Amino acid sequence: MTPIPAIETRGLTRTFESRKGFLFREVTRTEALRGVDLAVAPESIFGLLGPNGAGKTTFVKILSTLLLPTGGKASVLGHDVVDDSAWLRPRIGLVLGGERGLYNRINARDNLRYFADLYGIPTREREARIESVLERVGLTWAADRRVEEYSRGMKQKLHIARGILHRPQVLFLDEPTIGLDPKSARETRKLVRSLVSDGVTIFLTTHYMFEAEELCPEIAVMSKGRIVARDTVAGLRHLVGGDRTLEAEAYGFEDREVATLRALPGVSKIVSEEYGPKTRLTLRLRSLETTPDDVQAALPGHTELSVRERRTSLEDVYLDLVEEEAR
Amino acid sequence: MATADVPAISRSRATRASLRLAVLMFMADPQWLIPSMIAPVIFGVVAFELFRGAGPYFLTYAILGAGMMSMWGQTLYGSGWAIGQDREFGTLEPTVQSPTPYVYVVLGRVLWNVVSGLMGGGIVYLVVLASAGSPPAVPDPVGFVILFLFVMLTLASVGILFSAAWVYTRYSGFIQNVGEFAFYVGTGCMFPIVLLPFWTNPIGLFFPPTWALDALRYLSIPGYVGFSWGFWPDILGAVVTTLVYVAIAGTIFKRVELHVLAKGNLSDY
Ligand SMILES: Nc1ncnc2c1ncn2[C@@H]1O[C@H](COP(=O)(O)OP(=O)(O)OP(=O)(O)O)[C@@H](O)[C@H]1O
Ligand SMILES: [Mg+2]
Repeated sequence: MTPIPAIETRGLTRTFESRKGFLFREVTRTEALRGVDLAVAPESIFGLLGPNGAGKTTFVKILSTLLLPTGGKASVLGHDVVDDSAWLRPRIGLVLGGERGLYNRINARDNLRYFADLYGIPTREREARIESVLERVGLTWAADRRVEEYSRGMKQKLHIARGILHRPQVLFLDEPTIGLDPKSARETRKLVRSLVSDGVTIFLTTHYMFEAEELCPEIAVMSKGRIVARDTVAGLRHLVGGDRTLEAEAYGFEDREVATLRALPGVSKIVSEEYGPKTRLTLRLRSLETTPDDVQAALPGHTELSVRERRTSLEDVYLDLVEEEAR
Repeated sequence: MATADVPAISRSRATRASLRLAVLMFMADPQWLIPSMIAPVIFGVVAFELFRGAGPYFLTYAILGAGMMSMWGQTLYGSGWAIGQDREFGTLEPTVQSPTPYVYVVLGRVLWNVVSGLMGGGIVYLVVLASAGSPPAVPDPVGFVILFLFVMLTLASVGILFSAAWVYTRYSGFIQNVGEFAFYVGTGCMFPIVLLPFWTNPIGLFFPPTWALDALRYLSIPGYVGFSWGFWPDILGAVVTTLVYVAIAGTIFKRVELHVLAKGNLSDY
């Protein structure tokens, strides 16, 4: 790893206090982050995965100077996010996405002009810069339409356009493809990849394992305010169980049959899921000894049985991680 | 590598950008026509009827009273409202995240509200003029205009502080309403403050516009009896209170920002 990480946190915590009632106030404390240590190398895409409420947005907001930590330290580009926020703000970009965060009654171009002025983008370059980011996110055709007429995907693109307008060195993307149709999501991922080739460090959060797998050489999994794993995609695959996954599908299995499967050589974990009338057993394997044929043979008497081998996806690993942590 | 250096932030450019945005938002939202265009007409008519025949300078009274009412609405209420909107739209977060200190964004909004407040004042003037059929007698027109702009300045100084409250919390509507009431009564915009019970006077004195308005009345209404201390002490009081407001505004936004970053309520609305 390069000497200075683009992002580094040590023992980062954040507690929210919410109050209910007027006279007799009831204080609820939520520990959104419970000691996060993380270092991210520059000029790459780093993915932060986690289920709802894991603390991803909280983490990103602290790193982008929109929230103060309760404890611990965080620095971006070697500068403390609390003490050096003024230095950092022009050098980082943040895309929170969603329906809010834009001036809906005016057009996209005027939205971008406003932020270009707040970022001090040289006046001579302003219009050209706006043109180029609109082009880049594919919104040139709608640039003069009011944002309230935009679809969700178009708004998301505009959010990204604003995030890259001032050419940040580090860009935080909080769930950049949420709510997008597959085509727009793919376009967005393509855009994200192209930014890295410009030398931007990208830190993105997502619920989608395939997205992290597709975009991010390195990944961290967050659960309940803690990092529960941090590795490369290949490394993560090895982390839980083994590298192979077999799936057996039929109209229900008996406990006895599951026990038989568990006794097969190399089986480390079996997960059962209902699919309408069918049940799917997912077997995680640590060795090559057990083949689909062995599984087939261990389950006699099923007329509609299908057994296949598939690549262990990051999704499997991820679910194992957050499940284990949840218990 | 991405650009290592970053452009310098121009405060005046940020203020202008915020002013421009306020104008664009105003033009895109017709509901604003009511407070900014129709209210002054109503204030003008009411004030005219209220003060009709009350001495030779009743027209000036009417114009000042109604003008202040509508300018209050624009300058103060409008300023807080603009920031409340930033909360509502979720644009407070990206704005605070930008390198421009938020106070310059507020300044732009307040400037726009001063401009639209002036338009309201102009409408009041025309309505009263039309009702009376003749312009009011103003002994010192130049002084009047200068003092009038000064009153706007004092209003703006209060508007900036109200904006800070809106950045602070989404519950600022409450402060705003109390403030509005205090302003109507305390500053004596419709009737001189000295007519009120003694205990209300100190409230008004906390508002820079109270002093400035009293001075304006001294200037434009011969024989006016306002605060017993007279014209120049009024001016002094207005200058001092305005400076205090501006000084507070200069430091309060950084403090308010730290508070909201600590609480994490920037996106609440
Ligand atoms: N402003 C706030 N006030 C109180 N609690 C908060 C606040 N913001 C977040 N939380 C709590 O902190 C925890 C982490 O929230 P956060 O939004 O960071 O999760 P997340 O990983 O981004 O979730 P999601 O995937 O749903 O976006 C949650 O329990 C949430 O309820
Ligand atoms: Mg989130």
